[in-house]
Amino acid sequence: MIPRQFLITVTLLFALTIAMSVYVWQLQRHEIGSPRPTEKTEHVAPPTSGPMEQVTVYVAFDSPGELRAQSISIPLAAGRQQRAEGLLRGLISLYTAKDSTHPLAAAAEIRQVFLVDPGLAVIDVNSAFVEGQVSGVLAEELTIASLVQTLATNMPGLTRVKILVDGKEQETLAGHADLTGFYDVQQITEVVKQLSAQ
Amino acid sequence: MLSNSGDRGWLARCRWAATAGALLSALALIGAQTIPPAAAPQTQPQSQSPTAQPSQPSPNQASRGQTQPPVQSVGASPKPLIMIDPAHGGSESGAVLNPTILEKDITLALARRLRVDLGGRGFVAELVRDSDVNLSTDDRAAKANAAHPTLYVCLHATSESGGIGIYTAMLAENGETNGPFVDWSTAQFSFLPASHAAQQEIAAAMQKSGMPARSLTAPLRPLGNMTSPAVAVELAPMKADVSQLSAADFQQNISAALANGIAQFLSSSGAPR
Repeated sequence: MIPRQFLITVTLLFALTIAMSVYVWQLQRHEIGSPRPTEKTEHVAPPTSGPMEQVTVYVAFDSPGELRAQSISIPLAAGRQQRAEGLLRGLISLYTAKDSTHPLAAAAEIRQVFLVDPGLAVIDVNSAFVEGQVSGVLAEELTIASLVQTLATNMPGLTRVKILVDGKEQETLAGHADLTGFYDVQQITEVVKQLSAQ
Repeated sequence: MLSNSGDRGWLARCRWAATAGALLSALALIGAQTIPPAAAPQTQPQSQSPTAQPSQPSPNQASRGQTQPPVQSVGASPKPLIMIDPAHGGSESGAVLNPTILEKDITLALARRLRVDLGGRGFVAELVRDSDVNLSTDDRAAKANAAHPTLYVCLHATSESGGIGIYTAMLAENGETNGPFVDWSTAQFSFLPASHAAQQEIAAAMQKSGMPARSLTAPLRPLGNMTSPAVAVELAPMKADVSQLSAADFQQNISAALANGIAQFLSSSGAPR
């Protein structure tokens, strides 16, 4: 004969299992029914502190494929590296805006800028930057010329620029513009003249 | 140490070899004197002949500002060879111009048309790829360089309506050159004057056909690796309508204008047809 205590224990455990199953089922239904939180695409750049400054940036215009010098006011830190990062972040904010003349993904970001003396700057962009880049010889050249010329204009002494993606060397920006080498600032200045004189 | 009998045999063999050598030398001298003067230069190594490799201007020539484009190299087809490179291919589709139009398909279609148009003008044209295959930029440059073309034309396409772009390599300075060996990344350097000449002729032909064209330099591989005059052409729709790129009449007009520009460049460089 089965002991009475054993029967009570088994019955209680069985009831508990049923109750837990119902609870989990309800939780699952609630989870499926509730709206999913949207993925946040805006990048979170570190806040730039410093006085507002008027700087010249070179802005790309996909139509008609030009590069134009434009004056903008942005906060810039005193440190040389922070200043370089602030400059390029100010430029990128023009491209990630809704009415951009040269659209990039909203999550496009300048991760860091390293200034290596003598005259070398390394720009590290994130993967969203290249994923949102329009593929094409001219479109990619406009992006590169815009970055390099903006930096060179505001950072005297710069002679070469290297572009990395997520800290690594990538073959091309979006299938065309070569990222394996260094960009010569003088060459880019010549390209900017060509792109401005159309 | 050799034995006496061995020494004698060795000396005998030496004497026989010396006699045979002297006889052969005498015969060679007599034979050389009987070769007609016109045929004599053919026996010289190519490097000693000033006209041996007219298609390979030295870096010094370029630095002296000589803009004479090179002509077909010795040993290749007497007709100028134009190497057409339809960019992208295989899993590397290039720009997605719209959901149904890929850059790799547009470039291949245009390349095939251009081959026909150039053939009709009496030139030999070959494609770097004639099917939907993956090729790295190094593979493309190696294949084209091995053919010693008179001109290399790389084709691209974009959805941005900014006019047709005619590009040459963006090279800041010549790389390390050691005799016949040149730096791979700057191999194009000594050919830049000729590439610019081709660029100007193609842009002029485009303008003449009523198509807006721009001449630019670009950091675009494999232009920098080419050991011949080299240009890249980026096809663009005249308006915002990307489907124009795949239209037969639009491609035919572009191809005809390109062929005219190439023919003009080859004509001005004195290349034979």
